[in-house]
Amino acid sequence: MTTRWSRLTAVLVVGFLSGAVAVGALAQSAGKTSLVGKLEGPEVVTDAGKAPKAFKEAPQLAALVKAGKLPPVAERIGQDPLVIKPLKEIGKYGGTWRAGFTGPADFWNGFRCCSGPDHLMFWDYTGDKAVPNLARGLEMQDGGRAWLVRLRRGMKWSDGKPFTSDDFVFWFEDIYRNKDLNPTPSAAMAINGKQGVIEKVDTYTVRFKFLEPYYMFPDVLAGSTDLAGQWGAYKSMGGFAPAHYLKQFHPRYVGEAELDKKAKDAKFDSWVRLFVYKNDWALNPDLPVLSAWKTATPINTPTWTLERNPYSVFVDTAGNQLPYIDKVVLTLAENLEVLNLRAIAGEYDYASRHVDLGKLPVFLENQAKGNYKVYLDPGDYCDLIIKFNLNYDADPELGKWFNTADFRRALSLGIDRDQINETFWLGTGTPGSVVPVDSNKYNPGPQYRKLWSTLDIKKANEMLDKIGLAKKDAQGYRMRADGKGRLRIEIMTLGGQFVQYTQISEMIREQWKKIGIDLQVQEVERSLALKRTAANEQQLAAWNNDGSEHLFTFPQHVFPFELAAVATSGPHWVKWFHSAGEQGKEPEPRMKELMEKWKKAFGVPEKERIQLGKDIWRIAAEEVYIIGVVGQGPAAMGVRVVKNNMGNIPSRMYNSPDAKTPGISRPATFYYK
Amino acid sequence: MLAYVGRRVLLAVFTVWAISVLSFAIIQLPPGDYVTSYIAQMASSGSVVTEEEAQNLRIQYGLGQPIYVQYLKWMKLVVRGDFGQSMEWKRPVIEVIGDRLWLTVVISVAALILTWVLALPIGIYSAVRQYSPGDYLATFVGFIGLAVPNFLLALVLLYLGFVLFNAHIGGLFTPELQDAPWSAARAWDLAKHLPIPALILGLAGTAQQVRIMRANLLDELRKPYVVTARSKGLSELRVILKYPVRMALNPFASTIGYTLPYIVSGSIIVSLVLGLPTVGPLLLKALIAQDMFLAGTIVLLLGVMTVIGTLLSDILLVWIDPRIRIEET
Repeated sequence: MTTRWSRLTAVLVVGFLSGAVAVGALAQSAGKTSLVGKLEGPEVVTDAGKAPKAFKEAPQLAALVKAGKLPPVAERIGQDPLVIKPLKEIGKYGGTWRAGFTGPADFWNGFRCCSGPDHLMFWDYTGDKAVPNLARGLEMQDGGRAWLVRLRRGMKWSDGKPFTSDDFVFWFEDIYRNKDLNPTPSAAMAINGKQGVIEKVDTYTVRFKFLEPYYMFPDVLAGSTDLAGQWGAYKSMGGFAPAHYLKQFHPRYVGEAELDKKAKDAKFDSWVRLFVYKNDWALNPDLPVLSAWKTATPINTPTWTLERNPYSVFVDTAGNQLPYIDKVVLTLAENLEVLNLRAIAGEYDYASRHVDLGKLPVFLENQAKGNYKVYLDPGDYCDLIIKFNLNYDADPELGKWFNTADFRRALSLGIDRDQINETFWLGTGTPGSVVPVDSNKYNPGPQYRKLWSTLDIKKANEMLDKIGLAKKDAQGYRMRADGKGRLRIEIMTLGGQFVQYTQISEMIREQWKKIGIDLQVQEVERSLALKRTAANEQQLAAWNNDGSEHLFTFPQHVFPFELAAVATSGPHWVKWFHSAGEQGKEPEPRMKELMEKWKKAFGVPEKERIQLGKDIWRIAAEEVYIIGVVGQGPAAMGVRVVKNNMGNIPSRMYNSPDAKTPGISRPATFYYK
Repeated sequence: MLAYVGRRVLLAVFTVWAISVLSFAIIQLPPGDYVTSYIAQMASSGSVVTEEEAQNLRIQYGLGQPIYVQYLKWMKLVVRGDFGQSMEWKRPVIEVIGDRLWLTVVISVAALILTWVLALPIGIYSAVRQYSPGDYLATFVGFIGLAVPNFLLALVLLYLGFVLFNAHIGGLFTPELQDAPWSAARAWDLAKHLPIPALILGLAGTAQQVRIMRANLLDELRKPYVVTARSKGLSELRVILKYPVRMALNPFASTIGYTLPYIVSGSIIVSLVLGLPTVGPLLLKALIAQDMFLAGTIVLLLGVMTVIGTLLSDILLVWIDPRIRIEET
């Protein structure tokens, strides 16, 4: 079955893209420059004095108000609207946004486009600064040990019930602290491993209290963390939840017998699964939400439809309640080829998720016919990294080399990044080390982009000779030091991803022949990859480090942080890190230094934190725990296909899971001209 | 005859049970479970599931229990006609399959009718006019139909349809009518989308059936009873249709066993390529996601269909071919 499928995939790709290859030159001449625009985006108006005093609404809602079925718009929005200055102009109401999705597991799709986003704080369009979002303001108290969240007065859930501090207390006491719903506390609610609490101050004020200073808190509220609104609800996270609605499914408020009956009637094994289902933004159309659009037909049907939230707190600078677009319709695509072909044919109004960079030439060719424009949104991170498993112990000799800095550096010097960039990124990427884009606030300096990350075969060979791998066999490959034949290294890759890890690894295999390294490329199925990383069976693995540009909210591709990973730098060190040294194995000194700095950063003011961030990246680049290959390319959701009649579209947007791109560009301000 | 049917039915029930055990075991074979594939899927879309969350999910879905406990739990549901909840779709399995089942049947039946309507006359013609230009043409087209993988054909037609005719890509409905309630417009929309998938699905089958019909009929045409019939002065058409064609139909009856499961699953690969909302892609996804109850139910359904189909064709053969009847008794 597996071989049959991989063969099929190969045929699909080759057959379908033979045309693409032929016009590859076209893309290169179009080049990086014309497709990557200026970073821009809408802005949140935080000055209450500049907020509009009168409000307007979509015609359908106005009709409902007239019919007496809905309160007037000013009442629905409340006293403190969340004002967004659209990127270019005030838009018009109406229209349906058509796009595709790939099934119930693709729920990120809807959160990225349509949730608003509903974070208490959120990033400005540069992705660097956290600004108030659903929260009207955030105030630090007690030297960072307490944070006062001010809510918007009169703001309402999508069913018209008030959004107040009770919704925070309910989430904290009855969801977060309920062992059945959430057996383990979240790191986002803790500083230095010590859990914080949420207190009600008054109806519209909540206090998050911690035992130690938690300076990172605003960023944690802004990023895609456990405190980032209703997308986390499926795992009982979020920071708040609609208490008035969910109480009817919670054992603290309903008798056991009655709740059991409710679960049984809905065909769930237990109240827990019923509750999780009812609290799911994408699955339950009845769930009160705070997002710009809300689910109308759920994600587990062939069409996932989202409609405007009549109680949306988002407004533009002219007082128009957002969103402008009436409806978002995501149709199920049985596979990615169909999804891409539909995008090429212009059947989607806006698509970036699942759009394949390899098909860029075909997209460009059909721009006029499909009446759309192609934009590239390069990420700020590395699209292809190679992780060494620094805890690999199945073969002590290999483990020793992986832990030798000069071995890792030499391998990095043996990669011809330009060739890879031209072949797989059509020249749109940036070759270099793992450090994030130069403009990132934690970037340690431009010299680190190239550190150990340029092609230098002579130097690489010298280094490998020097560390004790000078002996070669008849084919020119280096021999193991223990005399057991050739030094063979295996790299694990996954197929069917945004980046063609397997094919690129094959190219690196060819390149490493010149430095006498025998690399074996092994493509595995996803579940197997997870199992092998957890069981410490992975040697090298290819992946990307998206999210790492937000070093502190997304650290798993900087140092060993997650056990459940498709690529690991060392599972023993993950355990050591999370158990405060009780389990696992102690990391080597420089890695330990890196981890210490990361931990420390949460409790210090921003200026100090930035310095710590730079230190962390400097260590990472010097030690080459992870090889950076090509980055800042548009491979992961960075090829954007947008209809020409859609307005307020940025020419380039910040592309990151932490920013829920395109959420950072506030799709609620997109409209049809 | 009755004892024969009875024996077959008993055997069929046992086979279905064995299939249910096997299918459940096979789905468990790949490493990991629904939660691992879920984590992997999250990882590829830039999200992270922590070890704690994973454990929590496992408890919720009852995945920590031994496999036989999970199987017994499922069987208890199946006996009651409830097939459990799909882990991925978070809806009852019956609903998830039900959504797609009848559409699958429509496409498969359309393809089947197309196959037989084309294959039988062409096969007969090829045999009767052996080595005529028409036979050569049918043979040539037939071999091409057999040799070209139909998913490739699907891709080519899809692309040509878009480039030349600006046709809607994939699916069985235009987006506007996807969720509309049934109406004349929606039925017409379906009818408009049907020919391409039916043609692609039917083509390989047609080629095969033409070859089978031709070969069988050629065997029969040379037999003495045909000469006898002819010498009795029957018209040529009657001679051929009444005796040898009837004999040559035997293989068609015996393939019903495979046809029935095909009707409910559709072709997985072609459905995937054409983006058809049939049961096939659902099964593939369920297997990849290790969505136990959904995959198990579909495999069970296919198993039951195969068993029923085989049973039917056994009985049918006994009925149309007296020689089998005699051997059996």
